[in-house]
Amino acid sequence: MATTVIGSSIVIDGEISGEEQLIVHGTVKGRIVVRDALVVENGGLVEATVESASITVNGTIHGDIAASERAELRPSCTVVGDIRAPRILIADGASFKGNVDMGG
Amino acid sequence: MATPVSTSATPRPSEGICTIGPRIAIRGNISGEEDLVIEGRVEGSVSLSGHLVVAPGAVVEADIEVDSVDVHGQVDGDIVATTAITLHESARVGGNLRAPRVVLSDGAQFKGSVEMDVQLPGGLNRQPRR
Repeated sequence: MATTVIGSSIVIDGEISGEEQLIVHGTVKGRIVVRDALVVENGGLVEATVESASITVNGTIHGDIAASERAELRPSCTVVGDIRAPRILIADGASFKGNVDMGG
Repeated sequence: MATPVSTSATPRPSEGICTIGPRIAIRGNISGEEDLVIEGRVEGSVSLSGHLVVAPGAVVEADIEVDSVDVHGQVDGDIVATTAITLHESARVGGNLRAPRVVLSDGAQFKGSVEMDVQLPGGLNRQPRR
């Protein structure tokens, strides 16, 4: 599967959209809509509304998260915003502030 | 002097080369201090202190400010590079180029102006009279 990588020194201010996996090591402000998967790696900073099928957070997201399949907050992550997904995992050690909506 | 453009000396980040994939579109500003490969679509501006590759099939509608750039795809916008601009044979570029070294390969399509640091021999260095 094709993968897009935003490197650690890269800052994107705007909108990212597409149909492949996106891995963020750097900074994105604005909006992210990718079809397959979004991974915010350790050190990655996302100040954006994010939408994807599967969202995995090791870094920081400040904004609302909408996943059509699953959202996973790993132990090192910091998330401030609302999460909407049918499956949500919050690992021990994760920092999270916001609402959780599993659509139940 | 026709040495190929070497990639810049910035250290590679551990995660590999930063890549905008072929099915990704970015609208906005991209800035950074490392090398970048664009295979998809970018609208806005690109400002890098590294090497930029616009891959075949990529569409960039943006003003570009980089250390050096290799263009294989399509660019609509002005390109300013501190070392070199290379338009390869599959490149299609509309805009103005400014760099100390500009290379246009056979087959490259280009419309715009080119500005290099031109050192005229003595006596020719005066501004031309209008």
